Parts: sequence; C-alpha cells; structure tokens
Amino acid sequence: MAKTLSLYVERNTFIHRVDSINKILYVLVSVAIPLILPYKFVAIFLILISISFLLLAKVMRRVIPLIEFSVIILLSIVIIQGLFHAGNKTVAFHIARITFYKEGLSYAFTLSTRVINILLAFAILVLTTKPSELIEALVKKGLSPRFGYVLSSALQIIPQMMSAVGSIMDAQRSRGLETEGNLAVRIRAFFPLIGPVVMGSLIETRERAMALEVRAFNSREKKTFLNERQNLRSDNVIRLILFSILSLSIVLRVLL
Amino acid sequence: MKKVVVENLKYRYPLSENLALKGISFEVEKGEFIGIIGRNLAGKSTLCQALVGLVPHFYKGAYSGSVKISGMNVLENNISGLSKKIGIVFQNPFTQITAAKLTVYEEIAFGLENMGIEKKEMIRRIEYVLYLLDLEKYKDRNPFELSGGQMQRLAIASIIAMKPEIIVLDEPTSQLDPQGSEEVFKAIQSLSREGITIMMVEQKIEKIAQYTDRVMLMSDGEVVDFDVPQKIFLKDNLLNYGVQAPVFTRVCRSLNIKNKNTGLYPVTLDEAYELMVRHEQNRS
Amino acid sequence: MNRIEVKNLKFSYRRGEEILKGIDLTFNSESTAIIGQNGAGKTTFVKLLKGLLKPTEGDIFIKGKNTTEATVAKLAKEIGMVFQNPNDQIFKSKVIDEVMFGPLNIRQGVEEAKGNSLKALEVMELSDKVDENPYDLSLSERKLITIASILAMDTDIVIFDEPTISQDYFGKIKIKNIVKELAARGKLVITITHDMDFVAEISERVIVLNKGEVILDGSTDEVFSRDDILKSAYLEQPNITQLCKKLGYDRTFLTLEEFVDYKLAEN
Repeated sequence: MAKTLSLYVERNTFIHRVDSINKILYVLVSVAIPLILPYKFVAIFLILISISFLLLAKVMRRVIPLIEFSVIILLSIVIIQGLFHAGNKTVAFHIARITFYKEGLSYAFTLSTRVINILLAFAILVLTTKPSELIEALVKKGLSPRFGYVLSSALQIIPQMMSAVGSIMDAQRSRGLETEGNLAVRIRAFFPLIGPVVMGSLIETRERAMALEVRAFNSREKKTFLNERQNLRSDNVIRLILFSILSLSIVLRVLL
Repeated sequence: MKKVVVENLKYRYPLSENLALKGISFEVEKGEFIGIIGRNLAGKSTLCQALVGLVPHFYKGAYSGSVKISGMNVLENNISGLSKKIGIVFQNPFTQITAAKLTVYEEIAFGLENMGIEKKEMIRRIEYVLYLLDLEKYKDRNPFELSGGQMQRLAIASIIAMKPEIIVLDEPTSQLDPQGSEEVFKAIQSLSREGITIMMVEQKIEKIAQYTDRVMLMSDGEVVDFDVPQKIFLKDNLLNYGVQAPVFTRVCRSLNIKNKNTGLYPVTLDEAYELMVRHEQNRS
Repeated sequence: MNRIEVKNLKFSYRRGEEILKGIDLTFNSESTAIIGQNGAGKTTFVKLLKGLLKPTEGDIFIKGKNTTEATVAKLAKEIGMVFQNPNDQIFKSKVIDEVMFGPLNIRQGVEEAKGNSLKALEVMELSDKVDENPYDLSLSERKLITIASILAMDTDIVIFDEPTISQDYFGKIKIKNIVKELAARGKLVITITHDMDFVAEISERVIVLNKGEVILDGSTDEVFSRDDILKSAYLEQPNITQLCKKLGYDRTFLTLEEFVDYKLAEN
C-alpha cells in the first residue's frame, strides 16, 4: 500500500503551479456551466478544455483508465436509456430487432457528457494538486485547522493502519492461526484481528492526541505557515477569468 | 531560579481506586538535568504528565496540590499555553508523528506553526534542531519512513524546536540502539548546558548516573529520595524499589572500593576506573 | 539434523534494496543473541525464520522443513516468537483464554493446553490474574502474558524480539530466568536485543548483524572481546566488559559476578 493516500502525480507544469483554490473553483465552474447553459456543445467544449489542461499537465495517461471505466458504465446507460427511456418516440436506428430511440439516446448522451466533464475537471484537481497543499490552502482561507488536520492525517494514517493489520496478522499467524486455505478458514482468521486492530487504533489515536496537544495544536494564537505561497498575479487573473466566464454564462442564460 | 515547583501533588486517574501520586513535593533549578527512576507503575509517567498538564487537563481525574512551571500554575493554564514553557517527549516515537506532514522538515514546523512563529525564525530553528539531532540527511524524508530510532530523534527535535525552558522525556531511548541512545543523551546534555532544564525518566541506569545532576527515586506514587547520583546509588535497599545501581557502583561495592574522602562509591565508568587504579596503586 | 539451517539467505522487500545479503548460519541449542544496530536486518531475519517472510534467494530449514513449504501456522508448532508489542496480539477477554489460543491452534488437546497455559502463567508469576481481562492489566503485565502464550505452546525454538524494552529490574529478572530455564530444558532460545548487559548474562552465542550481513558469530566472550568490530557495527561492549578493558585486563569479563570472583580470588 502506498505510504499516503493520494493520486497526486509529481510534475512541474503550469497547471501544477496553479493555486489549489483556483482548481477547486474550476471544478465548480465546470460543473455549473453545463447546468446553466444546457446545450450539448457546452459540455463537449468544456470536456475538450479539460482534456487540454490534462495534456498540458502531462497527466493524461493516468486519466485513461478512469475514462475507460466510466465509458463502460456510461455505455450501459446509453443502451438502457436508448431502449427504455420514458418518452421514447422517435426511432433512431435498429440493431437486429432491437429499436433505439432518439429521445433516450439524446438524454443519455447529455448525461454522459456531463459526467465525463465532471470527472475530468476533478481529475485535474486530484492529479495535479498535493493533498497537503490543498488542505493547507483551505485552512488558510478559513477551514477549521482541526478539520484540516483530520483530513491530512487520514491520508497517512489509513495506510499505516493497514500495515498495522499486517503486524497483527503476523503475530496471530505465529501463534498457529491458519490464514491460508478455504474461505471458512480465512473468515475465521478474521476474528483474532478485530480486537487488536480496534484497541491499537484507540490507543494510538489517544497517544497522538496527547502529542498534538503538547505541540500547541489547540493554541489560540494565529497560526503561521512554513509554506507561504506567493499570491501570484496569475492566480488572481485566473480567478477573474473563471468568475467572468461564470457570470457570462448566467447572463447568456437570462438573455436566451 | 526555580523552574519546577511541585507541592503536595496528589492525583488519581478516573476509574481508579488508588492514588497514582500520593503527595509529591520537590523543586528543580534552572539548567538541572534530573533523572527519574523507579520500578514500573511507580508513578514516573504520571508525574511527567502532571508536569505538562496532561494531568489533569487531558486525563481528568482527581487532583490536588500544585505544580508550577516557570511560575505558571498547571491547573490554571491549558496544555497549549504550558507548551511554550515545557515540552514532553513520550516513549512511543510512532504516535508522536502528527501524520499531517510529508517531510521531516515540515513535521518539525508543525508545532512552530501552531505557536505562530514567524517563518524566518521557523527555518532557523528547524535547521538548528536538524543539526543537533543529526537528522539533516533525512529532512526531506517522510517521517513514517524513518527507523524507530530516527523517529525518536525527530520527536525530540520537534519539541526542542519549540524552545521550551523545560523538557520532560519519558524513556526516550527505549527503542534506540546503544549508539542512538548515546547520541540522544549527548544532545540532551548539551541542551541542559545551555540552560534548559531536563527531567528524564530512564531505565538505563548507567546513563542516568553519567549524565544527570540529581536523581529522583520514585516508588508507589511517592518520591522516596531526590539527591545526587552518588548518594542515591549509595543506598543499599535500592533493589526493593526495583532499581539496580549502576554496574560500576556495584562492582566497587562488592570489592569494597570507595572514595575514602566522601565515603561514596563511583557511579560512572571513568570514576570506577580512576578509583580502582588508585586502589591498585595504594595496594602495591 | 540442525535445528535451524540458513543457507545463503538473501532478502529484499523491493527490488534493488537488499536487506539481507547472503546469510549462512546453523542453530542448535546454544542460547543465542542477535545484535546489531537499528536497520541491520535482525527483525527481518527472525521473520524469515518464522516463515512470515519468504526468502528472495536461499533457504531456511526449521528441523529439516523448508520454510517455503509450510504455512506459518504449521511452522508455529516448532518455532515460537514473542513479538515486541503485546497489543498486536492480545484479543481474548480472559488471560487464560489468551494464553490457550496458541496451544489450541497447534492442536494440543484442551486439557493439555490448559495445563501448559496455567504452568506458563505460574512461571510468569501471573497465576492470580488467570481470569482477569488482559486489558485491565498494565503494559508490562501484558508483555508477560504474551511470553506465557508462547511458552505454553512448548515449541522447540523460542525467539524473543526485544524482550527487555520497558521492563524494570524485576521484569528483567523474570525474563532472564525464563531464558535460562528454556535453555536448561534444551530449547533453542534466540533473543534480539539492544541490551548488551542482558546479552552477556543469558547468551552462550552472539551473532552480530550489520547491514544485512553476519560480521561476527561466536561465543559471547569471543564476540564481546572484539570491541573494534562492535564499534563498526555501532554497538558497545557490556558495561563491565568496558570497565575491565579500560583497566587493562586481557580476559573479557562478561558479568559483574565473573569479575568480582576473579578479583577476590586474586587476593
């Protein structure tokens, strides 16, 4: 298991350098615009933009498995909707004796493009942002430091807990607990793990809580940050662009 | 100046019938290096927790008496407030890693960020403790990738960076190999020479004898004795308290080699060596 | 047949990072200590002995059985190990049940398992805690329970991984006595520890691991006389040995008793 739960891919591209908050805003805007302007080409246009960002960030290859997976699911939706969508009237085409209808296909298509759009926008966020930076950016903007800590520590503690399970397994196997074999054996092997895992986690959590306390975690002082990101002009420009696009969409919607 | 003043401290954990601390009183001066010894469950860890405020603020329970750290009353301040004056390093290095940071460097910064230390000063302090605890080559490593001993040095570094006036350590070298232990003791001794007050619980009795200014012997929730190592290890009923005098002391005791002037036995290797050499010379 | 035979053992967790670099060792009945700095490969080595890890190259034979041909559970009948952290192991709500878990797993009958468990608890001086919940006991008592759990399995080979950490004087005496008792009963005891004084008192043989290789293997006094090699492995001699060396004695003294007897005889 990886040392930290993170999909972040280390690269040095412009997209990577964009402020995490802006990437969150991008996701929000990408999700909102197709809803505000429900034209088919809007979602497709946004998908193309996201793809170009992903290419710029050199992480496109990581996205492909995700795309493949969603395409499979979406394809099944397209088929089901094409066949059975309520309001199917207009025939689109036949395959053998099975009839696909325009309304269903259209609906599924819109749905699919929206889903892919959201996934790609999220992919940009997740693949090009270090979780710790993202969380720290949120904390700087006002997210409770406690909550921020819970999030960032979970990313490392969960893998640790998984390897702790390994140590516990080792200790019990050492005492003759059979873990290899048929399903019944393996299920039975599960029980001697529960107690130690739970107790271990409780004890560790408590000890860590004490360690945090004595590192002034609950101090009322205004926190400072070791990693101070310069507020680049480009950050503000990007934010401006995003808000403009959003506003423009709303305006267009009202007008049209 | 008295950095630690404890007066008739009594404490009982919640759900417990017996007092863990039964009326402890002592004082520690600035810059002293105090060793705390005694059998398991004597109350040593509880005392450490009482010094930093975990007792009673974290553990709750029944508490009476007073503990003053650099003049601050533990009962009247919270743990974060006290952490400016007093730091603590626990036994388990693993659970002292916050897990919120990805590098050793940032891990040390954690406490400093909480304290609101300005960035330049943060960097200064981090670089200093990296050097002091010999962690420089690990500064970009993920804390969880360190060995047990390295993790413990990291825990110590993280506390020292907060620049407390007093540092409490509860068996900090239990997971370290002999070399690692030695490095930690040397680092702590240099801190104490810089005027930081140290209170350390340890089982490695030879190290306690070598490095500490005074030794506190605890048993069953009480302070049995609090004196310089030579006097503590002179006692012939130490085994009753679950403590064995340093081997150097015991050797000289068995061979009846003591310092004629003070009537005390040596407690360190060098002292034993010198005394035994002189003893041989006197004999011949 | 050797109790344990290790032939050209190599092990890596990941490609390119060899933890153990070709170890050849045999073990029979000498009480053995394995020492070395953190990261030298001690824990990895004993895990391989237990079958918890399988060699990347080379073989390990436990009483003639290759560790790659048996499950860990099957090997547990021959070779028991007391792990460092008792919390990794304890899960039953009664001490006696906890101790009986191992013996029952390796197919001792219920009566036999109970008998062995009670005896083991007696040795650890925990007879009065037989029906208590392990979690109500202190950490050091829980450590003693884990030792009892392995003793009750009556394995031919017993491995202790850092048994003296967090033990006070009384705890150490108990553990020392157990190691001696096991050795007297003909069991092979292997101990990993950082406590050189402890090694000097309980081991007949010492193996020094450094960076995945055995750099010293011999009787306790042979090994502890080589302070130059020990230093290169970031280890020290036991305290009394250091003192005697400084005083100029040629002989390597391992314990206080040994030295005091010698000095008193001298006079």
